[in-house]
Amino acid sequence: MAKWTRRNVLKGIMGGAGVTVALPLLDCLLDANGEALASGAPLPVRFGTWFWGCGVNAARWTPDKFGSDYDLKAELAPIAPFKDKVTVFSGFNCVLGGRPNLAHWSGIMATFTGAAPSKGGMGGGSTDFPTIDCLVADAIGAGTRFRSIEVACTGQSSVSYSMRAGSTVNPSEVDPISLYRRLFGPEFQDPNAGAFKPDPEVMLRQSVLSAVMEDRVKLMRTVGAADRARVDQYFTTLRQLEQQLGLMLEKPAPALACVVPKEPERSELGPVWEIAVRNHDALAQLVAMALSCNQTRVFNVALSTAPSNLRRAGSAEAFHELTHEEPVDERLGYQPKSTFFMEKSMETFASLLRILDSVKEGDGTLLDHSLVLATSESNFAKLHTIESLPILVAGAAGGKWRSGLHVAGKGDPSSRVGLTIQQALGMPVASWGDGAMKTSQPIREVS
Amino acid sequence: MVPGHRSLWCTALMLSACLVLTAAHATEPLTSGGTTTFRRLNEVQYTRSIVDIFGAGIRVPGRFDPGLRDEGLLAIGDSRAVVSSSGLEQYELRAREISAQVMAEARKGSALPCIPGSLRVFDQACARQFVGQFGRLLFRRPLTSGEMAALLNEVSAVTKKTGDFSRGLELGLARLLMSPYFIFRVETTEPDPGRMGFRRLDDYSLAARISFLLWDAPPDAELLDAAAAGALRQQAGIEQQVDRLIASPRFEQGVRAFFTDMYAFDRFDGLSKDQSIFPKYSTQLSKDAEEQTLRTIVDLLVDRKGDYRDLFTTRSTFMNRGLGLIYKVPVNAGLNEWVRYSFSPEDHRAGLLTLAGFLMLDPSHEGRSSPTIRGKMVRELLLCQKVPPPPPNVNFNIVQDTSNPLYKTARQRLTAHRDNPTCAGCHAITDPMGLAMENYDAIGSYRALENGAVIDASGSFEGKPYKDLVELGQILHDSPSVTNCVSQRAYEYGVGRPVAAGERDWLKFVGARFADDGYTLPGLMRTIAASTAFRSVSSEAVAAN
Repeated sequence: MAKWTRRNVLKGIMGGAGVTVALPLLDCLLDANGEALASGAPLPVRFGTWFWGCGVNAARWTPDKFGSDYDLKAELAPIAPFKDKVTVFSGFNCVLGGRPNLAHWSGIMATFTGAAPSKGGMGGGSTDFPTIDCLVADAIGAGTRFRSIEVACTGQSSVSYSMRAGSTVNPSEVDPISLYRRLFGPEFQDPNAGAFKPDPEVMLRQSVLSAVMEDRVKLMRTVGAADRARVDQYFTTLRQLEQQLGLMLEKPAPALACVVPKEPERSELGPVWEIAVRNHDALAQLVAMALSCNQTRVFNVALSTAPSNLRRAGSAEAFHELTHEEPVDERLGYQPKSTFFMEKSMETFASLLRILDSVKEGDGTLLDHSLVLATSESNFAKLHTIESLPILVAGAAGGKWRSGLHVAGKGDPSSRVGLTIQQALGMPVASWGDGAMKTSQPIREVS
Repeated sequence: MVPGHRSLWCTALMLSACLVLTAAHATEPLTSGGTTTFRRLNEVQYTRSIVDIFGAGIRVPGRFDPGLRDEGLLAIGDSRAVVSSSGLEQYELRAREISAQVMAEARKGSALPCIPGSLRVFDQACARQFVGQFGRLLFRRPLTSGEMAALLNEVSAVTKKTGDFSRGLELGLARLLMSPYFIFRVETTEPDPGRMGFRRLDDYSLAARISFLLWDAPPDAELLDAAAAGALRQQAGIEQQVDRLIASPRFEQGVRAFFTDMYAFDRFDGLSKDQSIFPKYSTQLSKDAEEQTLRTIVDLLVDRKGDYRDLFTTRSTFMNRGLGLIYKVPVNAGLNEWVRYSFSPEDHRAGLLTLAGFLMLDPSHEGRSSPTIRGKMVRELLLCQKVPPPPPNVNFNIVQDTSNPLYKTARQRLTAHRDNPTCAGCHAITDPMGLAMENYDAIGSYRALENGAVIDASGSFEGKPYKDLVELGQILHDSPSVTNCVSQRAYEYGVGRPVAAGERDWLKFVGARFADDGYTLPGLMRTIAASTAFRSVSSEAVAAN
């Protein structure tokens, strides 16, 4: 063939045969800038959260310089290769406004829900507002097979910071093999595959779900007032599943950069550091492929629970205990064993960035087309401080977000970060949060 | 005796006799009525329902959402749980695969209650029988005519589309399995004829509550029939069914489920200890420890109909080979065999708190035991006492008193908890009992020394001193907090919500009955299951329909 142009490719394939073909998304099908499909539809923007427990040593993490070209201190050094794709936020607080400081809970709920929670602690509890990933998934997640994917690295499915109002979390996938089968198992439809034929079984499954919807009216009248919201939630989720099946009946749009991975090896699960990191990378790889194959647009990664139970193999003490009980080394000025975990957490975040950044999509990478909100529930876990919560946002949302800066919060509520993110993703949100955390001021430097 | 005084004396005698009789048969005080719940079946109940209804050969696939412990019980968490998106995907997977398996069996002839005229054509009578039978068992009540009509339409439509009647039935079954009427326990109420302005559970809802409390399973056919016949409208009918369920071998299953929840044994799942510090520890060992505790409970409370309080002092338990290693006792048993075992007074073991299961159940410290966590467990799980959370701005510099580096035992390390008034307020609640347990390491093995120093396990509880855990067990045996806690929890577990303020007097009545019955667990369960309170619902809880 003389030249790879759209016209030539189509002519070559169509010659004689009248079949529907899903074309692999070659770069020649992109517009001149490589930022949109030639048909005009922009490359999808993705959103994710990345949580690590037990905070940082602020003196070794927070850059001194503001603006672009911020300095990387020892604990933030691992993100050096991606510095210009990461924005650091310091000085943004969980503003309690009279609510209690719930250890290992208030800080994370403040940033993720825009409100200081009233009940909970030690990595779990209840919230009156959904977490930001749920709001984003409602806005951009309806068109993909999964609204969002949650993963946790310590083998416990209850470790998750993705929640709707209430106390139930969206449980995390913890086993790379189970996640693989859920994403790329028998129900997966390769967006770049050849002819597509809707599966009649899927239509039957849909009919079962729409039949179940008939139970709603009578059930709403039967249950007590306090339970109606939960009944409603059941049927809303049911309807979403029905829609998810509906998507499986449509030919999927071709997905640039989608490479179907192989099933991972069996791995041990647990809170031992070395094992957790291995699982993190395996799970993150699968998440990256799920994103690039358009199986989901939203993801949540929890490195551990907030009072982190990560520990070195052979050590009696977990990270959380160490933060409280390990004495400060006089010469170093910090707690060496606790700090090991803090530094390693940043290394693991860098590992996620590397995984996302190595997926080429058009002129950029998967990371460029995403926003990843990484944060912890404390600043200094030893004292459960929640001022200047450590917050990082990686990626550029396909150009809608200015990355590579260090932004000063000056004591403002951390909900400003979540508000700015939602606006960058095109959500019609003018203000966000509740009580003392309520804000209508997006962060101008990054938007 | 003066004649006039004699008649007066006789009257007085009769009156006091009447009073004594009244006290012995004290009537149950009325309550303010509770609320109904919309309670999700947990994994065990879901699986058991499938096995009870379709037989043991059906495999239940998929992952269940993790349980939620609320106000001390998973049962209460189930009444507040919400199904997540991934959770619903799993329910749909189960519905499809279970119904496919059932119909695969049916095609071999076993599950179909009727032989349809032809497997290619919709057979109304057969479909009605099939859907009616399984609908009643799955929903734990008969289908309404509206539900039946809709289902028959669905089965018919699928039969037309696929040309296969058994596929129609299969999808009808899947639709039943996806219904919240199966996945949740839906409670319906009706006006209470015996009490103006109050409501009560309807027959089927009451049958379900009784069955799940006593057997942790859906009502069996006999109980459903009793509900259908109106037998549960009379006290005698209720008591007959309650007695039948308690006398059954399935009662043991219900007792296990109750204590697994109350004593938080769900934390055995995923419990891990550091292998290099505790080489004897394994998942199998933790399962054995859990089983040992449950067997001890069942043996004392169900088989021997013993006194609940004796759980804290009993020396009778069960052993297998694996456990013999950590208790350091010889066990004459086959490879997977359990044998009875009685500790002797020198063994430092008597009562539940000295069993490995209780001692190893700390999910947060994999390398050592934590007196604070263990003490908190005793307060919250056995005594139903709330321990306040630690203040967020605790200054741990106090704990690291570098002027005394000889922190060999936990008691020494926790000095600050006792001596500092800010800490002592709460730690006085938890640490002393936990320190009594320090003679047993994180996997339950006995030790007299820690890091070479003698462990001091003494303390006092409710004003009474003890020198070690065995003596603490005896004090707990005598404490009313222990028996009040189990009766409160049993009720809350049965109704799926915390006890309401208007039920406190009734709970005292239950406690008195419990004492009269010698603190037997079957007696307690009977009192609760057959009570008016158990089925009483306040009108405010049910909004106008």
